[in-house]
Amino acid sequence: MTFRSFAKQYRQSRPGMVGLGILLFFVVIAIFAPLLTSYDPLKDMNLANRMAMPAWFRIFPKYRDALQGTAFHITADEWDVKTIEGEIETAFSEQEGDDYLQLNFPEGAGKVLLTHTFGYPSDTATVFEIGLIYGISQLDSGNAALSFSIVDPNGKTYSPWKSQNHRSTMEVRKFSIDSRDMRVKTALGLGPFGDAAKTVFTSSGEYSLNILMEKTPESGPVTIDLGKMTFVVPGEVHGVLGVDHLGCDLWSQLAYGTRFALLIGLSAAFIAVVVGTTIGIISGYVGGFIDEILMRLADIMLSVPLLPILIILAAFFGKSIWNTVILIAVFAWMGTARMVRSQTLSLREQTFVEAARAAGASQTYIMWHHIMPNVLPLVFASLVLLIPSAILFESTLSFLGFGDPSTPTWGNMLQNAQNFGAFTRLAWWWILPPGLAITLLAMAFVLIGNTLNEILDPRHQER
Amino acid sequence: MHFIRYILKRLVYAAIILFFILSFNFLIFRVMPGNPVGTLQSPNMTPEMKQLVAEQYGLDKPLKDQYFIYIKNLLKFEFGYSFQTRRPVKDEILERLPNTLLLLGTSTLLSMILGILMGIFAAARRGSVAEHLTIGSGLLAYSVPTFFLQLLLLLAFAFFWPIFPIRGTMSIPPPTGFFPLLVDRLHHLALPALSLTIIGAGSWALYTRNAMSDALCQDYILTAKAKGLAPRRILYHHAFRSILPPIVTLFFLSLPGIIGGAVVTESIFSWPGVGRYLLSATLEANYPAAQGAFYLIALATLISNLVADLAYGLVDPRIRVGQGGH
Repeated sequence: MTFRSFAKQYRQSRPGMVGLGILLFFVVIAIFAPLLTSYDPLKDMNLANRMAMPAWFRIFPKYRDALQGTAFHITADEWDVKTIEGEIETAFSEQEGDDYLQLNFPEGAGKVLLTHTFGYPSDTATVFEIGLIYGISQLDSGNAALSFSIVDPNGKTYSPWKSQNHRSTMEVRKFSIDSRDMRVKTALGLGPFGDAAKTVFTSSGEYSLNILMEKTPESGPVTIDLGKMTFVVPGEVHGVLGVDHLGCDLWSQLAYGTRFALLIGLSAAFIAVVVGTTIGIISGYVGGFIDEILMRLADIMLSVPLLPILIILAAFFGKSIWNTVILIAVFAWMGTARMVRSQTLSLREQTFVEAARAAGASQTYIMWHHIMPNVLPLVFASLVLLIPSAILFESTLSFLGFGDPSTPTWGNMLQNAQNFGAFTRLAWWWILPPGLAITLLAMAFVLIGNTLNEILDPRHQER
Repeated sequence: MHFIRYILKRLVYAAIILFFILSFNFLIFRVMPGNPVGTLQSPNMTPEMKQLVAEQYGLDKPLKDQYFIYIKNLLKFEFGYSFQTRRPVKDEILERLPNTLLLLGTSTLLSMILGILMGIFAAARRGSVAEHLTIGSGLLAYSVPTFFLQLLLLLAFAFFWPIFPIRGTMSIPPPTGFFPLLVDRLHHLALPALSLTIIGAGSWALYTRNAMSDALCQDYILTAKAKGLAPRRILYHHAFRSILPPIVTLFFLSLPGIIGGAVVTESIFSWPGVGRYLLSATLEANYPAAQGAFYLIALATLISNLVADLAYGLVDPRIRVGQGGH
């Protein structure tokens, strides 16, 4: 069958086209995951209140007043740098994968103001959290200090934090401001029961965050490396799907989870099909004792309780996605092997194979050049049909707690939802999306696989 | 004669598989993280208990002897002592077994009846709603993860509308009197059994529909129609009877998957059965418990496969009287 007629037949199958459409949708999400979300699925924690609802819930009257938080990073190139005093050179540097803004202060007085302006979308904040890592390196006479301030839409300035004078030669510092912190309250002139967040972020509008770096005139040269700053006003609602129990973005987990589902499903099915095809061809073509051994092995593998044995082996080999892939593949090759074997048995008797044998072709040559190309179309269909079961098994294993906890898989999302109270909170926006995603992706492959089988399997065409 | 040889062959296969299961158990639970002795004894055992376990498993003897002692113990269902409770694993499993049997028995029976009826309706009325429903539910059965469907039912009927209990097999404290107790047990059984029924029925319906459609195209059906028999009679007495043998075989073939799936269902509904026991034992590195539960599940699988083979041999005349076939 030519590719053209195959494509024509495929296009006529409605289920096949629907399956292809769904698959395409997920492939797009998998490829563009980093563009579709600005958060890391697991590393960016506390983006909003624990188990915050999706932001679009505010269209419902009941949640209209829910606090819309805001959470973002300010990377090195997003600062507006203004030199107030001295000749300061700026440069971008990369250290261990993170971008840094480097400011080189020569000898003498120096003063730089970094500004980042952003639109604060919500009403009165309940909490704000700001974090920054910076490194300061200076010659022995260096003497520099940093201070942080926030300017509200009315132009009023709040200075919640100021570093001490840095004097040592090299230092890496991490400053974090939490509005509930007593030091912050004191710096803003509030009492112990004062609310720093309420004082600063009173209404929506343009706020600017400022970092002022100052160096005394008698100080020597100083270099300051400024890392990524995080700014969070945790809201009661967040993003497309809300956040989980750690405040991680659920939409990012869903989007990146697509990558893992496709990767695991495709690679497990691929390994299983390669193994199954090889065993099937050898078993069918060579026959005899080898055939008996291989088919009995397939029988044994088919008669083990799959999920229990996967659980025990997953516990034994450790939680990593590649272990999961290999375990699933090891228990999935038998169907393909049987199918290929029966195909090989009928191909073996065909004239072109007999002709090759008569011409003195070796067994390996015939298996590789004559049998293999002829079983390939059906092998391809069985590959597609193995993918959904690989996806289902992987998600089940993850859900039961045998997945790699450092990967944002859909099964892990559901496991967290069950373990950390999504059910008691009726957080359906956390439970439904990963489950529906697994279902739709598996269904897409079933639809495509069935269509391929109908087109490629000669038995179907006779009907 | 042919049939006896067939049976003997199947029995030999079953014995070989049993040998593999036993060896797998011995190997994997000896090399599990921790030292080999550590998979049978735990630090929270008393010295006397450790001594007892060491003697029972011949831990001072060479590995070869340990293997035979181990096999002998497993064949007697002696699995050692649970690390968690220090009770014999055998007793703990025996307590949980009735729960698993109740859940799996009820749901398997219900899903078969429901699925087969759906399949017959679908085949009898091609192009009807019943047929589309059957094909749709069959497709869903292959793509919805069992655990997700169960989570949805739990979310809907135990949390959102709290009609059914969230967990367990009975209320604590259980109600008094036979009748209230029965109602309470059924109330707890309903949601897990319903979820397994829905999942199982889809594939039964799809299979029955396909087999019935093929059967209804056969010549003898045409003959029956020509004789003027009632359509109902043709459907049940002729067509359905002809697909009964594969259905019986399929029933036994479906058991391994059902038994294995108990792990998921029991953990979601906190159903104290063997599957949940295996899962928590594996997660807690409670090796004696895990190997005991796994051995029992593997054995059940093995037996249902063997019975499926024998049933197939019984109903397939080619094997029974030895004509054709292999």
